[in-house]
Amino acid sequence: MEKHYSENYAREELMSIEASRFIESNDTVILGTGLPMVAAIFAQKTHAPDVNFVVESGSIDPILPSAPFTVADPIIGHMAVRTGSLRDVLGCLVQRGLVDIGFLGGAEIDQFGNINSTYIGDPRSPKARFPGSGGANSIASCVPKILIIAQHEKRRFPPRVQFITSPGYIDGPDGRKKAGLKMDRPDIIVVTDLCVMQINPNTGRLELTKLMPGVTIDEVYENTGFEPKPRAKMEEVELPTEEELKILRDKVDPDHIYLKEFLKQQRT
Amino acid sequence: MSTKEAVEKFVLDGAIIGMGGQNVARCAVNLAREIIKQGKKDLTLTGCNLSIHMDLMVGAGLVRKCEFGLAGLGRFGATFQFKRAIEEGRMEAEDFDHLTMVSRFLAGEMGIPFLPVRGLMGSDILNYQAPSTKKKFEIINNPWNQGEKVTLVPAMQPDVTIVHVQKADEIGNVVIQGIASHEPELIRASKATIVSCEEIVSTKFFRSNPDFTTVPYHYIDAVIEQPFGAYPTSTYGYYGFDVEHINYYQQCARAGGEHYKRYMNEYIYGCETFDDFLEKCGGVKKLNQLKHEMLRLV
Repeated sequence: MEKHYSENYAREELMSIEASRFIESNDTVILGTGLPMVAAIFAQKTHAPDVNFVVESGSIDPILPSAPFTVADPIIGHMAVRTGSLRDVLGCLVQRGLVDIGFLGGAEIDQFGNINSTYIGDPRSPKARFPGSGGANSIASCVPKILIIAQHEKRRFPPRVQFITSPGYIDGPDGRKKAGLKMDRPDIIVVTDLCVMQINPNTGRLELTKLMPGVTIDEVYENTGFEPKPRAKMEEVELPTEEELKILRDKVDPDHIYLKEFLKQQRT
Repeated sequence: MSTKEAVEKFVLDGAIIGMGGQNVARCAVNLAREIIKQGKKDLTLTGCNLSIHMDLMVGAGLVRKCEFGLAGLGRFGATFQFKRAIEEGRMEAEDFDHLTMVSRFLAGEMGIPFLPVRGLMGSDILNYQAPSTKKKFEIINNPWNQGEKVTLVPAMQPDVTIVHVQKADEIGNVVIQGIASHEPELIRASKATIVSCEEIVSTKFFRSNPDFTTVPYHYIDAVIEQPFGAYPTSTYGYYGFDVEHINYYQQCARAGGEHYKRYMNEYIYGCETFDDFLEKCGGVKKLNQLKHEMLRLV
């Protein structure tokens, strides 16, 4: 079938679609709230029909008609094969090593893929307090492929996070191994509104692998607290098709809970 | 036993309180409100996702420490009173991860002193601990596989746990429907548990359907029937969460000061019973609407 690409999309929409492209059918994915949920449900409704979801609060393989409000929304257990507990999901699936992909996010993400969702400033007298780990530390510690969707701002991408809530490669290629983490070389992929960055396990650092349509490397550097090395074969992120946007807007997030920016653009 | 009597009897000043519920689901709001009204002091709150019921207790100035996995209300935003109390240095926070907290309750419920987890290593969760915490963790080598490391975390046995569930009988057999979060482990780990439920059913219900029982009565010290007892959060199978009231609470909690005081005076101290609170928030009309939202789902 011929692809009809569209340039009439919001940043959040292409971020979600691009993140979904890293999900394969048959993957077991642990969901988080927000754009990750949009990306995962989108994958299920398009190229990865056999992907299955688990949700940290205890829902196992639910059939999600559209993106729920939060991970605790009652709809999160819709048609699940089991509604269990946190232990079922974070213990018996994530820690046990049966989850393929985890979605994470945070206030800060650094060049080693470490994530901070706890404190800005000294924890003993913090400038700002964030929600904390939730299940993120377990997911970052145990899952072989981590996907991060984030808005690209300089303060969100410092050279080093002020507090490691969820470890990436900590301080280099052997950081995880030295710390004692069994899953010592996970894949880490960061999708932003400017680019895609992926960890190089040999350096333990994020590299620039793709640019969003129309974005330059300089623009990425201006908005990043470190300089992710461009990979030899840099690509441009594929535009969404009209069909993809229709599925995203009509079936994945029909109430525009997550794709707020799209709604804003429609209004103006 | 009434809510008032149960809280008087089982929640003491200085207690470690296990918090049931998470985010916008099954928070033990009825019981948290009563603890606030009775002004219990120097509390430590523990759980996985500490949500609006924790924020209310912190906002009322009753809490000295939280030990938890995450504090927040998801897409409704931060738990603002919690955030402010920490940023102003009025409260201690001991951060763990959800699985770590569940493992601590799991150790507690099995009567063993600690359990290993694979996480936390390499994170700053281990590099910082609250001033009053004695020993947060220990990293050891697996005795059966030298070179493999695990993090040991200590058992947690709260003094009293507060939960809101779907069904219970008079003697304390409990059914949790839908997602159970950390509560099966939490309840069995606790030295006492107060259960608030949507409906009290007969013990025959359990004896005829023993595989429905989430937790048997041995762990439960008081059972209270309080329909809509998790409001404004949801109870699976019974009612959805109230977007309007949660948003209003968040506005007041974020603004703080007089705004928050007004909320507390009007909706907590100003309502004699939980039913009065429900009435004030929209009464039968609102509750029916939330009930229909849930019934459309199940």
